[in-house]
Parts: sequence; C-alpha cells; structure tokens
Amino acid sequence: MAVKALYDYEFPSADRAENFGDDQLVYVHWDGNPLFCSAACFRVPKAMPFGEFVAGVVAPWAGSDPDFDAAAVAGWRLFDEPLQPADDASLADLGIGHKALLHFSA
Amino acid sequence: MTQAKPRAKKLPLKERYALLTRDLDWEPSYVEREKLFPYTSYEGIKIHDWDGWQDPFRLTVDAYYKYQAEKDKRLYAVLDGFAQSQGHLGLADASYLNAIKLFIQGVTPLEYAAHRHFAYLARYLEGPAPRFAALCQSIDELRHCQTQIHTISNYNKYYGGFHSWSKMHDRVWYLSVPKSLFDDAMSAGPFEFLISISFSFEYLLTNLLFVPFMSGASFNGDMPTMSFGFSAQSDESRHMTLGLEAIKFLLEQDEGNVPIIQAWIDKWFWRAYRMSALVAAMMDYMLPKPVMSWKEAFELYFEDQMLGGLFPDLEYYGIRPPRHVEDAIAEKDHLSHQVYKILHNFSFAAAFTTQTPGVEHSAWLSEQYPGTFDELYKPVWDKHARTEAAGGRIFFQGLPQLCQVCQIPMVFTEPDDPTSTSFRTSSFRSETFHTCSDGCKWIFDREPEKFVQAWLPVHQIYQGNCGGPSVPEVLDWYGIQEGDNGEYKGSPDQRSWAEWHSGAPKQGS
Repeated sequence: MAVKALYDYEFPSADRAENFGDDQLVYVHWDGNPLFCSAACFRVPKAMPFGEFVAGVVAPWAGSDPDFDAAAVAGWRLFDEPLQPADDASLADLGIGHKALLHFSA
Repeated sequence: MTQAKPRAKKLPLKERYALLTRDLDWEPSYVEREKLFPYTSYEGIKIHDWDGWQDPFRLTVDAYYKYQAEKDKRLYAVLDGFAQSQGHLGLADASYLNAIKLFIQGVTPLEYAAHRHFAYLARYLEGPAPRFAALCQSIDELRHCQTQIHTISNYNKYYGGFHSWSKMHDRVWYLSVPKSLFDDAMSAGPFEFLISISFSFEYLLTNLLFVPFMSGASFNGDMPTMSFGFSAQSDESRHMTLGLEAIKFLLEQDEGNVPIIQAWIDKWFWRAYRMSALVAAMMDYMLPKPVMSWKEAFELYFEDQMLGGLFPDLEYYGIRPPRHVEDAIAEKDHLSHQVYKILHNFSFAAAFTTQTPGVEHSAWLSEQYPGTFDELYKPVWDKHARTEAAGGRIFFQGLPQLCQVCQIPMVFTEPDDPTSTSFRTSSFRSETFHTCSDGCKWIFDREPEKFVQAWLPVHQIYQGNCGGPSVPEVLDWYGIQEGDNGEYKGSPDQRSWAEWHSGAPKQGS
C-alpha cells in the first residue's frame, strides 16, 4: 500500500548504499548471549577480508564480555543461511552486502 | 416599597455554548470550501455531517482560561514551596530522577509537538466543534510543556542530565524513539493523526504511558511532578474524550471509514505500545520505590480496561482489537527486562545513569515475574554484579542494530521463544530493512516509502552526521556532559546525594 499524500510521494532511503561509498553497514549478532542486548552495527569496507573483520571489528566488541574467547567463535550464518567463510575472502566475495545480518556463536 | 428588578435571565448553558462556538462557523462565500479545508479528503475518510461531532464538555473560551489559570496558580505555589524548602532532599533517592530525566527529554518535547499539531487541526478540521476541541487541546499541550519545564527544571540546579533536553530530543539515540513516533503522526493526514495521538496515544495507552510517571513521582517524594500530574488530569480526561469522540464520529459517518480506521488502529496501537517499552523499563528498574510492575499495569490498564471494556463496545462499529495485540500480551513478562538491558548496556551514551538491580530489587522482580526473571534475566544481572564487584562495569562497546520502524535496538525476542531474538527483514527498492517484530514489519511493509526515510541514530553516526566518529565527539554533539551518563554508583548525582545525607546534625553533637 502506498503512502496517501497530496503529491507524488517519492523520497530516497536515508541509508542507501551510495551514502556509504566503498563501505557498508554490517550487523553482527552473538547468538544466545544475553549480556549484549542486541546485535551490533558496524561500518566496514566492502573489500575487508573476513579474517580481519572478525579480529579487528567483531572481537573488540565481543570482548566487552569477559568470558569471550576468540578461538571459540563458530557457527557463522548470513541471515538464516550457514556460512563457511575463508579468512582471506572479502565481505563482498562472501555475499555479505549492505545491511547484511551475520550470526555467530561462541 | 420598591421592588428590585428581576435580573436579566442567564442563557442556558447549551445555548450560551452554541453562541460562543457554533456561531463562529460560517460558509465560505469567496473561496471554495475545498480550498479552505484542503486536507480533509485525501485520506479517504468521508464525513457527511460535521455537526454530528458533539463536544460533551461544552467548554467555552472564557471558562477554559479561568479554570486553567486557577490550576496554574495552585501548581506554581507547590513548585515555589518545594524549591524554597529544598524539597529535592526528600526524594526517595537521587536515582529516582533518572525516570524524570527520561520524562523531560522524551515526553515534554512531545507535548510541544502535540501543541503544534492540534493548532493545525484547530484550523483545518471542518466542523466547529472538533476545531474548538482541538484548539483547547493545543493550548493544553503548550501549557503542559511549559509547566513540565518549570516543574522539572528545578532539579537542574542540583543534578545532571536536565540541561539540554530539547537539543537531546532531536539528536540522542533513545530519544529518536518518541520523536520519530510523533514525526510519523504529524506527517500523516489530520484523521490519521486523530487516531494515532488522540485515540491510540491519549485513550488506548494513556494510562500506561503517563500514569506510571505520576504515580512514580507520588511514591518517591516528587511533589512537584505529582502536582503537575494532578494539574494535567482534567485536561487529560478531556483529551481522552476527544479521542473516543473522534473515533466514534468517524465510524458513524460512513461505513467506508471502518477499514481505514481499523488499519490505523492496527498501526498506532503497535507504534504507541512499542514506545511504551521505555516506560516499562522505567517502572520496573528506575524507581527506588516501585509503584506496580509493568506486567500488572499492562494487565489492569490495557488487558482489562481496553481489551475487556473498550473493544467489545467498538465491535458494534465493526472494529476488532488491534492486530498483533497477542504479541504484546505474550511479551508482558519480558518487555521491561529486555528494554532496561538496552539502557544499562548503553548508558555511557545517555543523559541518565543506570545500575544493576541490587539484592532487594532483584527479589521484588522475582516476585513480580515468577515465571521469567529468575530463569532468564537474573543470571545476566548476576554476571554484571560479579564484574562490578571486581571493579568493572560492562557496557556495549559499539553501536546497536536498530529497528527501522520503532528505532529501538533489536532486543525483542520471539513471542513463543524468549531465548531467541526476533529478526524480521523486508526488501524494498533492492535494499534490506530490519524490523524487530511482526508488528513493526507489518507497519514498514504497509508504507515502505515513508519508513525508508527514518533517521536512525546509529546509521547517522556512521554517515558522519553526528559530530564525529568517536564516542566523545558524538556525546558532545548530543549535548551530554561528563557525569550525566554512565553508571549511577559513583556518579556525581550519587556522590552529592550521599554527601547531603551524611553525618549527624552539627549542633549538639
């Protein structure tokens, strides 16, 4: 259903991919850890290798939990699909696009 | 002996009211009616007889001002007395004021927004009775905004977090929740606004949104806020009547209005309910002396009074209870715990402080939430408490994923599985949009063109629109000063409170 308006109602999305240039937003959710209220949101380059993303972006955030063990991170999922990421593959190569939701468990 | 002349007869109230209100209405002669009232047809609502709208209060301008002036005099006498006698020292605890910070930052600016929009309705609705009701409500809302500022600003002399609420309302992440709700309503047509604010907000959920703050004030020694609540009460009952009058009038005017109204009730129940999640967190976690639990309030004010009382009446018009209401009922044992977790995780970036519930508080929560607190939420608080006992404090070192519609961090769980976070996505113009629940997803999918424009604070920070990339830069842009935010224990508020209440009297000791 369209918005009812007195004029052509057409506005761009506030967070469209082009607003982030070579970067994109990625959400990461630590499944089953209620210490964090929600998934986290990061701005990262599309070309960033997955290994660097995990070590340099996800781990510092997850480390707010004193029980976080970087070696135990497993079970990656992209939305609802299982993901077997190679550390040197870029986010773009892995199909992790703008505003994608990743899950892991630890 | 002369006899006094009989006094001129006073007009009966009804006639006097008619002369003072209805006679101010006239038929346009040199502009077309559609030009005079350009906004009352495009939403699809059909009105056949504007005079079918009755004002049950029969209020006139002179009576209105006289009555409001008397109420103001009484309120300001209380405010003066409280300020002059250092009344703030009699509060239950300084941590109580976190609830009032949330109120002035989150609610007071909404009063002002409501004032603006009711002024617009007072000009653009076609019937004289609804125009006059909207005019009174517009002035009420302006008065509420002003009296709340005067009531609460007294605390600004002694406590953090009260200084830049207006700027914060426009900028700070958790305040985008109430702000965006009102922006959504104000950018809708006049009839949708009536259903959103007058009906869903002021009638359906007013007792859940407003009363907890006022009862909280009364239980925790905050005489000024309580007095403000009393002062606003008669206005609120008039607003509730307007909400009910509006919906019945619209439903009676044309059968074709019924499905349009139903869709607005479905949308606005969920929008207002989601915002009330902040009130749920306040009630269960921020009051040193709790009034009642969120769950109890929800059952009494919403399930009993609205689902049990109002909706059976509305069934006559073909209106059913709001869509997704069963999801709201399913999460009543979880809502406050999940939402306070957000505030606790992120209070380093808020203009209030939070703390892990202590032993007594936890015992109260266990008692109020026998099926869920001990099993699901207490273990996490215990982990926080252990970290704090060792001198730490766990915050969320990053930014959260937000719901595209309610703008609350995506914290809510599946209605049938409280251990599994609820993620919903929609795709629109090849872009992914995330929502926290079936309710918010339904709202997004109904008007994606509107909600893609949402100013999501997290994404705006990442676009570089909020002062800079680092936390101190963003806090500075928010207007949050050192000490407004973070952990309550050890905060400037807590330290001053302890100092003011320590030691024996100097004389005679």
